[in-house]
Amino acid sequence: MATQANEGKILILATETCAYPGANSVGQAHSTYPANTYILRVRAPALFPEQFYLDCFEKGISGIIIMSCGEECPYEGAYHALAKRIDRVYKMMKERSLDIRRLRLTAICTVCNRAFLKEVNQMNDLVKELDEV
Amino acid sequence: MASETGEKVGVYICYCGGNISDHVDVEKVAENVKEVPGVAVARTNMFMCSDPGQELIMEDIKNGVVNRVVVASCAPALHELTFRGAIQRAGMNPYLYDHANIREQVSWVHHGDAATDKAATLVAAAIGKAKHLKPLSPIRVDAKNHATVIGGGLAGLRAARDLSRRGTEVLLLEKSPFLGGQAAQLGKLFPTGENAGDLIKQLAKEVSDDSNITLRACAEIIKSEGYVGNFKITVKKSSPTSEEYIEKLDTFGNSKAGIGDFVPFIGLCPMEVPSQTEEFTQDTGAVVFATGFKTYIPSAGEYGYGEYPEVITLPQLIRMMARGKSGGKLEINGKRIRRAALIHCVGSRHIPGIHEPGSDGNLNEYCSRVCCSATLQAANEIREKHPETYVFEFYRDIRTYGRGHEAYYDRASQNNVIFFRFEPEDPPVIEKTDGSQYPLKIRVKDMLTFGEDIEAEVDLVVLSVGMVPNDISDLVDMMKLPVGVDRFLLEVHPKLQPVELAKTGILLAGTCQAPMDIGEACSAAQAASSKVATLLSRGYVELDPFVAEINIEKCTGTGNCADVCPVEGAIQQSETESDGEKVMHTRINPALCTGCGICVAVCPENAIDINGWTLGQYEAMVDAIAEC
Amino acid sequence: MESEREMKFDAIVVGGGIAGLQTALDMADQDFKVAIVEKDASIGGKMIRLSKVFPTLDCASCITTPKMAAAAHHENITIFTYCNLNSLEREGDVITASLTQQPRYVDPVKCIGCRQCEYGCPVYVSDEEQGGLNARKAIYIPFSNAIPQLAVLDAENCSLCGKCAKVCPTDAVDFFQQPEDFVIRADTAVLATGFRLTPADQKKQYGEGKIENVITSLQMERILAPHGPYQRVIRPSDGKEPDSVAYVQCAGSRDKSLGIPYCSRVCCMYAIKQAMLLSGSLPIADIVIYYMDIRAFGKGYEQFYQNAKAMGIEFVKAKVASITQGEEQTVALHYENQEEGGVETREHDLVVLSLGMIPDWNPAGICPVATDDDAFIKSVMPKMAPALTDMEGVFVAGVATGPKDIVDTIVEAGSAAMEASGYLVEKRADHAA
Repeated sequence: MATQANEGKILILATETCAYPGANSVGQAHSTYPANTYILRVRAPALFPEQFYLDCFEKGISGIIIMSCGEECPYEGAYHALAKRIDRVYKMMKERSLDIRRLRLTAICTVCNRAFLKEVNQMNDLVKELDEV
Repeated sequence: MASETGEKVGVYICYCGGNISDHVDVEKVAENVKEVPGVAVARTNMFMCSDPGQELIMEDIKNGVVNRVVVASCAPALHELTFRGAIQRAGMNPYLYDHANIREQVSWVHHGDAATDKAATLVAAAIGKAKHLKPLSPIRVDAKNHATVIGGGLAGLRAARDLSRRGTEVLLLEKSPFLGGQAAQLGKLFPTGENAGDLIKQLAKEVSDDSNITLRACAEIIKSEGYVGNFKITVKKSSPTSEEYIEKLDTFGNSKAGIGDFVPFIGLCPMEVPSQTEEFTQDTGAVVFATGFKTYIPSAGEYGYGEYPEVITLPQLIRMMARGKSGGKLEINGKRIRRAALIHCVGSRHIPGIHEPGSDGNLNEYCSRVCCSATLQAANEIREKHPETYVFEFYRDIRTYGRGHEAYYDRASQNNVIFFRFEPEDPPVIEKTDGSQYPLKIRVKDMLTFGEDIEAEVDLVVLSVGMVPNDISDLVDMMKLPVGVDRFLLEVHPKLQPVELAKTGILLAGTCQAPMDIGEACSAAQAASSKVATLLSRGYVELDPFVAEINIEKCTGTGNCADVCPVEGAIQQSETESDGEKVMHTRINPALCTGCGICVAVCPENAIDINGWTLGQYEAMVDAIAEC
Repeated sequence: MESEREMKFDAIVVGGGIAGLQTALDMADQDFKVAIVEKDASIGGKMIRLSKVFPTLDCASCITTPKMAAAAHHENITIFTYCNLNSLEREGDVITASLTQQPRYVDPVKCIGCRQCEYGCPVYVSDEEQGGLNARKAIYIPFSNAIPQLAVLDAENCSLCGKCAKVCPTDAVDFFQQPEDFVIRADTAVLATGFRLTPADQKKQYGEGKIENVITSLQMERILAPHGPYQRVIRPSDGKEPDSVAYVQCAGSRDKSLGIPYCSRVCCMYAIKQAMLLSGSLPIADIVIYYMDIRAFGKGYEQFYQNAKAMGIEFVKAKVASITQGEEQTVALHYENQEEGGVETREHDLVVLSLGMIPDWNPAGICPVATDDDAFIKSVMPKMAPALTDMEGVFVAGVATGPKDIVDTIVEAGSAAMEASGYLVEKRADHAA
């Protein structure tokens, strides 16, 4: 389908302990959401340098949602480091005239089905709107 | 076809009996991925997790067809270990494997071509990652089956005994000259009526008879380094200098007790006090904290404490009643006590904005858990032994939560203890009487009688003081221990790891963590011993291989990684001279690294990575997703 | 006659709730072989049914599922679900458990947990997992994160239409499956048999379960849980979003008229927790807790209570005397207000009974272990060794020895694992000597 191919891709970085099982829980409930979403399992998103996000956009990814464990992060200091890093990524995105709404940091728990769907749908709407312009 | 660098990826896609294949064209996915460089075979099966499915994979490995495996099936939580096991059985490193989740994250949430396309993309991403995988093995660290217990109270004695029973050699350290801790300050225990001294004597005897346990009194840790299985501590033994200990030693000596004897309200003296200072080091695999609590000392003037001699604390009352045994009368300053007022929650349940910080400048917002039952026990004892003495209790909530504790509350009512309930905003007020036969009067707005202002004249006011943690700031600083806002040691998680600290190999036993009664503290001590056994009983500790590794060739020694690392000692830097040039060496201690990856993000050369989860692997996955 | 299946382990853990799982994990991590026997079709016990847990407000599933998975994947742990324990006795040097595997009517080897049978089944049955607030099918997977992920057929309600067998992709449905007896022998056993709530219909003054919109605290847990029956907070009778919710504390505890004089230890905290969660989903609703004493004694609990007060949750010091149906399906509470005096009546849209805990297992006739007056298993050394029972080699963990919260239960499980493993080591040393 031609329309499918043009759809902006959304990358989801989901933590192994919280958000990744959360996404599976959405699957168990058979709730549907846009298929242009690609979930990568991560231990702690603090691993990614600023450049990783910019490269993703460069490669053609339209939106990124970081689904972290939030304050429940099992790694000491990692969530804090991540939050600070994302602030810097936002600054760099602005310098490159990238809409910072394309990158979102959020916390999703293992059974946060509704929150997961809300985040994914919002990003999908946004990406559609931004990519049309 | 194999890739240029020799990776031969086998891709195995599961139908899941229709769960996947009803929405994903599995055969089409298999056809598509065959074209991906590096893919040697792509096979499908109705149930990849079944024995025939696993056989497919194992055959390909044994025949040398594949040296990397990707399985596309259900969520990895279900069968990642199944497939790793199969790979290992076939003689390949089980970490040369990646998983594409095309059931929970594809066929159950998407339909039609979109589902097939997405499945193909996720499989391609997994192939991208698989090509970057390298063999890993669990990190094995030798561990000394030896534990050090700090604190010779009941929890420490309990932990020492259990560790020894489980085959661990134990060094038990007690700062004071006595064993028994705060339990020595108690008389009869609720709700069993056992004597606290008997429990101490029994456990202390078991400990001293145990050849696996080395006991050192008047001993403190002055230095500590290392990590789980491999701590090295330095202990200083010295003659006690604190006034409290000297005074207790005097009392002990005067009571004609000898080594091994227990004296109520002092403790059990297990050995001669060292005459000179001596230091020794000990290699130890784990450290158990049983450093305990002390009772809250009210501020001057708090409920008249320090102001009127008739205002005492509950531990003072317990001592008074124990001494009064022979005389039979309950007296203070030679005067018979006709009426006693017991006030709950002194030094506990402070509310910011309502209460002033206590004598040590702290607000204790927590409930001290044991004081309600202890106070009721004292009230019952007064009423039953001295029926001529009336008892008034002033409380906020009666918290007789434990097994058998509620009966104490009932018994107090039957014993005609009179209860008054106050709000934190309107605590009881203690004043001197004027020309009355009673020295003190206590005023309160009583919520049990609809807020009526009530005044009672009494001979004695007893403050039911709470628990505060013992001051172990030297150990906290030395070993970098996490402390909560309540100033007690802070566990990793109250349910996931309730007796463990963030640093592996350091455990919590008892009231250094939070207020507890004796049974609860002994439970915690046993749970801590259990954890030590799981860590040390094999003689080695096996850790996940997913830790940071440095590529020496790329590392330029910026030190960024060490700066951001949240774990003390996980990344170490040292400077050496080579050909007249200073070179920074960075080393990872895999036993300490948690694999969080904060270091990866800050390395300008990408010289540091988390094994099994490298940045390069993620980039390959993103490339695959972007290209599809 | 076929000879009974017999298996040998180092330890038997009776009960696959959080206490049993933690005990088993602590022992298995020390390389002891452990069998967990569980009467339900899934492990996880009461905890997996909860919404969020105090005082951290972690979701219960997020804490329980990793432990369930760790036990299920552990090479030293074997889990037997859907099993009846017929007897647990000491025979000389060994503990012998005789068990019956209840028929699932589904082949556990073939079933892949895909739920096609469940989707196909035309029979709807009240779902006890959801507090009876909505329906499940007659063949079903107990709940979304159940372990094992195996379907179970409820023979009592099955219409034998055969649809499930037809849609099953692996031919796993087996209507002719029979109960199967088997025996486990071990050196030691740990009883982690847990609790159930006091019956909601036992108190006459509280309407004996017949008043509409009076629910139990576990039903409210389900309503608040992410996979709950309604996916939002409504009252059962008419689906109205409640404007006021009340908690009746000590509805099944500290009440001699019910034969339960003891405190159940968790009801204050779970009511406060539920109240906090409710105020999140119903921001304008009034939430009132009627209590005798607030018992927030654990680590961080008092602060949790004070936070709830600061959030505007109303605490009324009163023992509710009786409950009646009010107008328009509301619920009227009648109580003596201890702070202001006089008998008052107040109506609420939804009322939650904070029920207490009673033991879920009575050893009488099964195991000669002693119980106490409160019917919980007797701990013979509650101060120094709380996990000891009066039976040699048999230990106890969690609520089996009396009401307890999750934190205390998990710590006690560690203590029971210590006793059991210490016993094993000492016994083997004796034998070797």
